[in-house]
Amino acid sequence: MIKYTNIKSIALLTVATALTLGSCGDDEPDVNVPVTYEFLRNGESTVSFSGQTTRILMAEEFAAAMTDFDKSATDLQEMFANEDATGGDVNPFSNEELNAETKSIRSKVAASTDLFNTNTVEASTIKTQMDQWIAAQVSEVFPNENELAEAGKAGQIADGTSTRYVSAKGLEYNQAVAKSLIGALMTDQILNNYLSTAVLDEATNIEDNNVSTVVEDKTYTNMEHKWDEAYGYLFGNSTSAASPLTDLGADNFLNKYLSRVEDDADFAGIAQDIYDAFKEGRAAIVSEAYDTRDKQADIIKEKISDVIGIRAVYYLQQGKIALEAEDFGGAFHDLSEGFGFIYSLRFTRDAGSSNSKFSGEEVASFISQLEEGNGFWDVTPATLDAISESIAAKFDFTVAQAAE
Amino acid sequence: MKGIITSFLVIVLMFSTQSCGDKTTTEPETSTDNFDRGALLTDMADNVIIPGYTAYATELGDLNESAQNFADSPTTDALNQLREDFLDAYIVWQRVSMFEIGKAEEVSLRNKTNIFPADVSQIMDNIETAGYNLDLPSTIDEQGFPAIEYLIYGTGQSEIDVTLYFLNNPNASDYLKVLTARLHDLALEVLNDWQLSYRETFISNDGSSATSSLNKLVNDYLFYYEKFLRAGKIGIPAGIFSGSPLPNTVEGFYSEGNSKLLFLEGLKASKGFFLGTSNYTDEVGESIQSYLDYLDQEGNDLSGKILAQFDVIESSAVGLENNFAGQIESDNIKMLETYDELQKNVILLKVDMLQALNIKVDFVDADGD
Repeated sequence: MIKYTNIKSIALLTVATALTLGSCGDDEPDVNVPVTYEFLRNGESTVSFSGQTTRILMAEEFAAAMTDFDKSATDLQEMFANEDATGGDVNPFSNEELNAETKSIRSKVAASTDLFNTNTVEASTIKTQMDQWIAAQVSEVFPNENELAEAGKAGQIADGTSTRYVSAKGLEYNQAVAKSLIGALMTDQILNNYLSTAVLDEATNIEDNNVSTVVEDKTYTNMEHKWDEAYGYLFGNSTSAASPLTDLGADNFLNKYLSRVEDDADFAGIAQDIYDAFKEGRAAIVSEAYDTRDKQADIIKEKISDVIGIRAVYYLQQGKIALEAEDFGGAFHDLSEGFGFIYSLRFTRDAGSSNSKFSGEEVASFISQLEEGNGFWDVTPATLDAISESIAAKFDFTVAQAAE
Repeated sequence: MKGIITSFLVIVLMFSTQSCGDKTTTEPETSTDNFDRGALLTDMADNVIIPGYTAYATELGDLNESAQNFADSPTTDALNQLREDFLDAYIVWQRVSMFEIGKAEEVSLRNKTNIFPADVSQIMDNIETAGYNLDLPSTIDEQGFPAIEYLIYGTGQSEIDVTLYFLNNPNASDYLKVLTARLHDLALEVLNDWQLSYRETFISNDGSSATSSLNKLVNDYLFYYEKFLRAGKIGIPAGIFSGSPLPNTVEGFYSEGNSKLLFLEGLKASKGFFLGTSNYTDEVGESIQSYLDYLDQEGNDLSGKILAQFDVIESSAVGLENNFAGQIESDNIKMLETYDELQKNVILLKVDMLQALNIKVDFVDADGD
């Protein structure tokens, strides 16, 4: 008995030690995490993510234009791609600074290294799907601006004192596009591109970072910059880049929905957790503590994936409640947002693996259940519950937690 | 050794799984008190709701008649009569706005009656082209009291200017007639439905489920209080939701000087709903107040607190300028103070009262997108 206890104690110690050490490595340097997301080299800031801010602003203008009935399909497509059909330069934005840019939204849709580098077939399908929603908004919904929507007919429908413009299946294409971008642009770029070791450690990034070799004419190393670009897709439109939690909801994309999830008591603290992980991971790069960096990246991957999953389930459940109350306008609006978040599930990340939490086939199956027949006009509460359960099963939250 | 480690891990895993929380949620149980909800519903229907709609339909009959008179032969006398009837009807509307249940809910009565600010450029378009479909959800700010108000106050500086405008614009006269007739028809439709059939449906649905009459009525009341009384009349123009004040979004913007009057009517009606009283009968029966008092075993006097807060709101609001647009421009802090007092009753009504009545909120704050 005594002997047994001893063995057990040793075993416990061994496991505990292995767990503790295994998580940070044996010779990781200490990491000094600053109070805010501010990093300096020779007195100058090394943080830069203007390209991400630009794309967020482009997406803002583009998403708003989707319900501007004076826009043509060409206008919208040019805002999406920032080039014309033959690749020529265009000036589709009202903000001249955006027109001067060569960057675009579309080129970064489903464009991450980890998920799409050798999967351009799927990437191309996703981009084309978005093109089609944009075109359909103009060809199906715009002509029916002054028609009442009904099953099988596009038009307008009341949602409280708001008016929603829906397709023949009850889908708001503008919501489908905007909420899909949260996954296909922001989430994909953060989780599957900039926080990927393939990107962070590309070429001579580690060597350069170890000796503080900065990018030509810049204050930052390549690796630092990659990390900041991830940060910029979440906080790029915040008033304070260093302390972005004070004005959470600073854009209408990922930042806004992080704010929504933060407001749910079941998930309060998630924004701080993500911010802290960004901060510690960035500090780890400065300290050349790459295991710590990757551990923080995994936290971000897990929690941003949670945001997408929670909002997908939330809108399905809200849509279900509204459907049951026969509030079709309210239901369709919720389901349209949910539709986009479901599409975004493809771009989540199973932290610690090289894959998304959801395959393209799984997402396509959810979408086809929602679109079947007359779409939202026909969908049943049972179907919405089943999809919600399938989604929640891949996360650590329940449908009930996400629903309110 | 390996076996021991494995079992240790299993134990750890069990603990972690457990610490992830008890994931089941419990639905609130349905009310089990013996209060006579049917009596409350009967008293609300007979003492408050039906008399309210009866008076409203009568006022709209008068408004419609004077609008037809003015539109057919515009004179300043006819305009003054029209304006008088307009204000009378607009006041009485405030007393029934919160009852968006039954036929009123089905036809979206409030959306078709009082969405402000009016969309003036679209109204002018409608007048010019004479082609419009007021059943479209996108047209809710082109009809109802705010649109009529614009037509009879906002189309000219003086009474003579407005009269001349109509003399020179037969299309505007037609539009005015369409708007007042439509309001009158909608009011009659809702009133008739209450009188012919809905009263019975309403009273007999006296359970305590989410779809019972009382649960729905109380939710409709709260929704009105939050979105229309608090936000629409005070919060939005005072800039609570926008960062900067929006004085041109006040109710009664074109008739100038009526926004306080309309707000106070809405406030009085909100208090009346709680007490089960109206301007039309002296009957006082069962009410939300008496229900709360019945449930109040511990002497918390929640109903007394709610009523006291209604009085605080009123004394805060009576000090405001008659025209809220002017108040916002001269001293918006006073508007914010009234808003804060309104908000205090949201907490008492939406949290404490609903908890006592065991009613679940059936609407969520709009996402804002």
